[in-house]
Amino acid sequence: MGVLAWLESLPLSVWVHESPSVWAQPTVLTLHTMGMGVLVGACWVLDLRLLGISRNIPLSAFRWVFSTVAVSLSVNVVTGALLFAQRATSLGLAIPFLIKMLLVVASVATLVPLRSLVLRSDPGECEVSGSARVLAIASIVAWSGAITAGRLLAYLVP
Amino acid sequence: MPSITDVNIAHLHLLLNHVPTVGSVVALGLLLLAFVRRDEPLKRAGLEVLFVIAVLTLPVYISGVGAQQKLADRPELSDTAIRVHQDAALAGFTVAEFAGFVAWIALWQSRRRGRAAGLVPAAALLTVVALLLMTRAANLGGEIRHPEIGTVAAVAGAPPVDTAQFVTSKISAIMVNSPWAWPASETVHFLGLSLSFGVLLAVNLRILGVMRHVPFANVHRLLPWGMLGFGTNLITGMLFFVGQPKQYIDSAPFYWKVVFLMIAGANFLYLTVFRKAWAPRDNALYGEWDASLADKAMAIVSLFSWLATIPQR
Repeated sequence: MGVLAWLESLPLSVWVHESPSVWAQPTVLTLHTMGMGVLVGACWVLDLRLLGISRNIPLSAFRWVFSTVAVSLSVNVVTGALLFAQRATSLGLAIPFLIKMLLVVASVATLVPLRSLVLRSDPGECEVSGSARVLAIASIVAWSGAITAGRLLAYLVP
Repeated sequence: MPSITDVNIAHLHLLLNHVPTVGSVVALGLLLLAFVRRDEPLKRAGLEVLFVIAVLTLPVYISGVGAQQKLADRPELSDTAIRVHQDAALAGFTVAEFAGFVAWIALWQSRRRGRAAGLVPAAALLTVVALLLMTRAANLGGEIRHPEIGTVAAVAGAPPVDTAQFVTSKISAIMVNSPWAWPASETVHFLGLSLSFGVLLAVNLRILGVMRHVPFANVHRLLPWGMLGFGTNLITGMLFFVGQPKQYIDSAPFYWKVVFLMIAGANFLYLTVFRKAWAPRDNALYGEWDASLADKAMAIVSLFSWLATIPQR
């Protein structure tokens, strides 16, 4: 508990929480939402492709997804850490928050095998294995769950 | 610095409110002419006009609610007359959006099949219904300032009626009072946002030169998924707006959001009818996989506009 209280008392956390400035809470939250849209959207486009939409686009064409993920995930780790720190004592042990974190980790975990699949595929290769399809479904479900848990946090953890 | 919210919203509403009715007549005329002449490009033009009207009807509805909020305490205006007009406008708006949605699917399909198929009559029929509903809304709107032409007992100073009977009030009551309606709509709104973002990111990046060995026509295949997210968010977004209009109508970020949504809608139409995406497989353009500088500029403006629709209040 001491760590959470310390996190919340950091000057930066207090500023994000208390400052009336538009650059504090509103901007951090907006960046977190933008990052979410780009991050989840890029993953979903790849998932849709793996499930058979636009099946004539070769897998190797989807390398951009992973640089996009790298940028948007970084934005969301930083903004997410700020949003967490300012409310660390109420969020830290809240079940909905822990579920959200678990789902985010699970979603990102699906990206690891998908990344090597895309990077290693030959130019022009369009075949998708059954296990890649399962990963795509897992990615869609886990990201949807993470978004749902994240949105409901505002209502479940006052 | 003047704020975007300083705009005279009632005047803006009077300026914009002719677009849906006049535009629908123009689109129906184009579709009729295309049908008589069996002219495929003309048919596409009619469908494009329908989509543009659907996009432009959004600020018409929103500026109307803004005008209502600003003029609410004028003693010479009847609150009942405004609410009757608003309900009629919401009905017309809803059908016009569906017409635009069906028109868009027809437009997208005609890229794949070479011609717009069975959905064109459906789009035209929906437009006729929307036109009737919007003409009714326009008449009721006219009665707000000119009760003498009116058929409803909407004279200022008339005894107030029970406002709970209006559709907008019912939607608002559900959104505000139900413990799950608002959170559930927000969750769906965020899922839809991610879906449309992902698709628009992929297609605009393709125009900017990423995935350059993939023909535009193949990326075009993704667009309906983006439209699914866009449509989902129009519905959930309208639930928020009808639910709590006061929360948005004085907010500068919300005004900008509507402006950027217009640009984003234009981008969506452009990506759908983009010339190279429509090139037949045996055409030289099909193999021409680089977009022009103007197209690239458009893709950058669009990506920025999509992101810029996010800030809330």
